[in-house]
Amino acid sequence: MLGGGAAAGAFGSLLGLGGGILIVPLLTLGFGLSLPEAVGVSLVSVIMTSSAAAGVYLERHVANLRLGMTLELFTAMGALVGGSIAFVLDERLLSALFAGLLIYVAITMARAPAHDHGPEITTLEEDDVEDDEDATPTERALDRLSGEGYRVRNLGRGIVGSTGAGLASALFGIGGGIIKVPLMHLAMGVPLRVATATSNLMIGITAAASAVIYLVRGEIDPYVAGPTAIGVFVGATLGSRLSHRIDLRYLRLLFVVVLVYTAVQMLLRALR
Amino acid sequence: MTPPNASQTARAEWRIGRLLIAMTYTSVAILVIGVGLMVAAGISPLAGGPPFDPGDLVAELQERSPAGFLWLGLVVVIATPIARVIGAALTFGLHRQWIMVGIAIAILVVIAAGVAIALAATV
Repeated sequence: MLGGGAAAGAFGSLLGLGGGILIVPLLTLGFGLSLPEAVGVSLVSVIMTSSAAAGVYLERHVANLRLGMTLELFTAMGALVGGSIAFVLDERLLSALFAGLLIYVAITMARAPAHDHGPEITTLEEDDVEDDEDATPTERALDRLSGEGYRVRNLGRGIVGSTGAGLASALFGIGGGIIKVPLMHLAMGVPLRVATATSNLMIGITAAASAVIYLVRGEIDPYVAGPTAIGVFVGATLGSRLSHRIDLRYLRLLFVVVLVYTAVQMLLRALR
Repeated sequence: MTPPNASQTARAEWRIGRLLIAMTYTSVAILVIGVGLMVAAGISPLAGGPPFDPGDLVAELQERSPAGFLWLGLVVVIATPIARVIGAALTFGLHRQWIMVGIAIAILVVIAAGVAIALAATV
């Protein structure tokens, strides 16, 4: 369990994902845990790795705390809904949905270019300052959420996407970075580095909002969660140090194969 | 244009970052003790752990029970981002940034609602 957690954490860290996407299949398919139990353990592991990374990003002023807190209000709401309905939904349906998520992530990874320069970022000009008095409340809110050298846009899309990310996090035990990073970067005009750091910050509250529900409902087993969380933490730490020494093209290809295989296994589990 | 009170925000971010890192390493240390005690006691991870009972936590820690340390570590893990939001609310409050204080309080209310709903469902 320690080793599996470490592998999931290292894989996730090397490829810029949380370990959650692999922990749930590891615990359900590898150790026979029920899906809610696996999701509860995964959420704890995700919080641990994201908190450490978010702390470093905040110290270095890479993450946008204001934007992160604004959006995580909605990820928390999504997580509240997801954490509440997860126990009502049929486990086979959840397994099938999880398989769909794995396929989506596999396709996203397979199509990702080697060097993503992202969209054109809206930068702040001197004129923006002069026009400030004429700004609408929405524009002023966007100004407050913007960071040095970029201007946040499409807050509405951000709110809707964040709510969906929170829902997915609570149902599948993932951090939701696979949704939040493209959302902030592509739809809201946040630079990729800031979007990744801010997503890491948001993952903690997103996962905590549903982890408390799983904890109160008795779906977190300390004997499983302890070793897995430590494994994921160690793996993620090692992964971040090894990332510059490994050819990520081959690793990404291997990851896609693992995701597709896991998706098939989850589908078979759903059909049983 | 830079966001309002950029230097205050930078200081707040640094402090909150330190809090996150400190709490994460504390939780890792507690969990390592718990896993060490678990291994020493020959407990399999698949043995099925005891349920979480906050009332028993102190007694379990005094008895050096693996479950006590594991539960404490897990609670610290889950509390870490919540502590970050409380820390951010206090910092923004000191700097009179009331909108951000309101957002932080709303996040805490959503989490509290989750606990209340889960408790209601288990009764």
